[in-house]
Amino acid sequence: MSSRDLRLMAALLGGRAAGIASRGLHLGAGSTLPGDVGRALEPRILERLGSSLRQGVVLVTGTNGKTSTAALLRAMAAGAGASVAGNPSGSNLIFGLTAAAMRESDWRGRIDRDWMVLEVDELSTPRAVSELSPRGLVILNLYRDQLDRSFELEQILDRLRLAVSRLPQGAFLVANADDPRVAELALGSEPAMVRTVLFGLRMDGEDAAYRQLPVVSDGRACPRCREPLSFSMVHYAHCGIYSCPACGFSRPDPEVEGRAIRLHGLEGLEMEVAISGAGATPVRVGLGGVFNAANVTAAAAASLAMGLSVERSTSALGGFRPAFGRFQVVFWGKGSVRLMLAKNPAGLEENLSAVLGAGSGPVVAIALNDGIADGRDVSWIWDANLEILGEVSDLHVVVSGTRAHELALRLDYAGVPEDRVLVRRSAEAAMNAMGRLADPNLPAPALLTYTAMLEWHRLATTAGPGMGPPTSQGRA
Amino acid sequence: MSNAPLLLGHLYPEEMNLYGDRGNILALRRRAARRGLNLEVVPIGLGAAAAELIPSCSGYFMGGGQDLDQDLVANDLITCKGDHLRRAVAAGAPLLAVCAGFQLLGTHYLTASGAEIPGLGLLPLHTEASGTRMVGNLVVTADPRLGLSDPTLVGFENHSGRTVLHGDLSALGQVVRGGGNDGRSGLEGAWRGTVIGTYLHGPLLPKNPSLCDWWLRAAAPRLDLPPLDDHLEHQARSEALALTAAPGRSSRWRLLGRGLIR
Repeated sequence: MSSRDLRLMAALLGGRAAGIASRGLHLGAGSTLPGDVGRALEPRILERLGSSLRQGVVLVTGTNGKTSTAALLRAMAAGAGASVAGNPSGSNLIFGLTAAAMRESDWRGRIDRDWMVLEVDELSTPRAVSELSPRGLVILNLYRDQLDRSFELEQILDRLRLAVSRLPQGAFLVANADDPRVAELALGSEPAMVRTVLFGLRMDGEDAAYRQLPVVSDGRACPRCREPLSFSMVHYAHCGIYSCPACGFSRPDPEVEGRAIRLHGLEGLEMEVAISGAGATPVRVGLGGVFNAANVTAAAAASLAMGLSVERSTSALGGFRPAFGRFQVVFWGKGSVRLMLAKNPAGLEENLSAVLGAGSGPVVAIALNDGIADGRDVSWIWDANLEILGEVSDLHVVVSGTRAHELALRLDYAGVPEDRVLVRRSAEAAMNAMGRLADPNLPAPALLTYTAMLEWHRLATTAGPGMGPPTSQGRA
Repeated sequence: MSNAPLLLGHLYPEEMNLYGDRGNILALRRRAARRGLNLEVVPIGLGAAAAELIPSCSGYFMGGGQDLDQDLVANDLITCKGDHLRRAVAAGAPLLAVCAGFQLLGTHYLTASGAEIPGLGLLPLHTEASGTRMVGNLVVTADPRLGLSDPTLVGFENHSGRTVLHGDLSALGQVVRGGGNDGRSGLEGAWRGTVIGTYLHGPLLPKNPSLCDWWLRAAAPRLDLPPLDDHLEHQARSEALALTAAPGRSSRWRLLGRGLIR
């Protein structure tokens, strides 16, 4: 046995001990600490663990939908007969990826799986690509998010360009044709190096959830010449069918298309995934919202690029359970709550539109925290089109979180009458207030920033009365 | 009820809208409407044609932008908009500029490599690039000569540029909490006549109604602006002030945040 192997084993052992210790001390950040320790003992640990997979690693990045798409892709790959590892807890920075890989590894540093599908933070993607040499990268979308981390969209785009340039020869790039900047980035990649698979939605006037661009949109400017793009159809946020009247840049035709989308409230959706030159496969999945149809399409495009049968992959989605806090239903008192992560204007608008489009019920909760993991700067709530809440009569809004009163002021501006806004300081009080107003037969929707989502998840139980044993958190 | 609308010239709404700046526009419109005034927003984008809209407006707002757009905007501001804006503010029209908009009011911006990017030169100040960013909650006591009904201004700052005021140019106020213009002088923003520049976003006007009313008074000096019931605004301000006054709060979240952000 070489000293390299010994170092790897020591790193795995040290990381495991650190994980046990951190859980014992309730430090909360236990999902990344083993990664810190492992990397300190063996800086190349992630590279070495990643190279032990039989097939390889697929990375999923983008502002919104990473966790759901990675979970969908893992479920699809498993459905097509592959064994898959991942980071379902959503720890998506380099230490979190390392911790996830360590968790999946045996004591000798081998991950006995075909694939590992990891969601990765946008800014950490170049480093993750360098260390993991992935077989593929999925880029979902780019929105404004957490500006206090001092990165603007153009800088994030530069990081993703760097990540694409670092992909090993023969890797695939799955990219969203409907997001102008992501499409432009993918079209600029080197075809001799990377196989690009574009995905997108096709929506007819009937099933288009949104007809207009959001009031504040980063996707309006042409990524080539900066002139305003003209959109003939908006699917969600700034994603849709576009062209530039000035330079002629237009939405490329996707190879994998999600179409015939029928939303069944927040409970689920039906659609077809069509592959150009091949047939269309019907898909049913227990996730609502047009943006989740896009996530399903992205995951199907990735499974195609991985050489898996799309038919077998998508048929596995019947039993799909939503990922941690992403449309996940949890139980509180006599009722239930649907946890929906909303941490940026696009996410909040998409989720709210899904809630209101589904006929929502009598109450919706929104919680706004300003912790570091949420983004300290809560200005973004003023960019989100909350005016759609003001247009609904008889809807109560329960607001909570460290910035509950800022949110209440925003709702006042949005035209929600003050007597329908209930401000509650704690998550418990907010859940109680919601429980009193909610329809007991429907999970009440709660739109939550990251740390608020953790609070709500901790207070609730993942299984209702008579639902059997609780499922393990976040495992989809 | 006055029928002639008040026109708000929104400078570069496509390029300069980074930090919830839409909230500032909403606040101006709404606080005018609550006094029976109709305020209409006139988008003033790039180009000479848009500059012709400037003289008809009663006041102006310019927000923060991404770095990519700054050269584009600086150039357009100087070549197309400068003369019109100078005439308008000389006649007493208010101009409120936030963050990158504030920097563009100065004489120049000194980049890290030592290059000088010229600004509009409306205020005697300049900004220097720096390697560290000032990010966080910002609380300021406004210059009493502005006559704000509540001089405490609250918001959020996020900038790496350090702004230096020249000559007798007054700061908008004194920093109570946060970095301000340069993180050292204790000064935040600048003002002269009816021009205010500031690093406060967050956004500024919904949470600071006294500053919003300053803009409206300057834009419509002959109209009566009675006080409004601002209890929701006061609650949001108190919440923000309490959070900045207690830096030790939510340490658990911060620990968790560190773990996640790494």
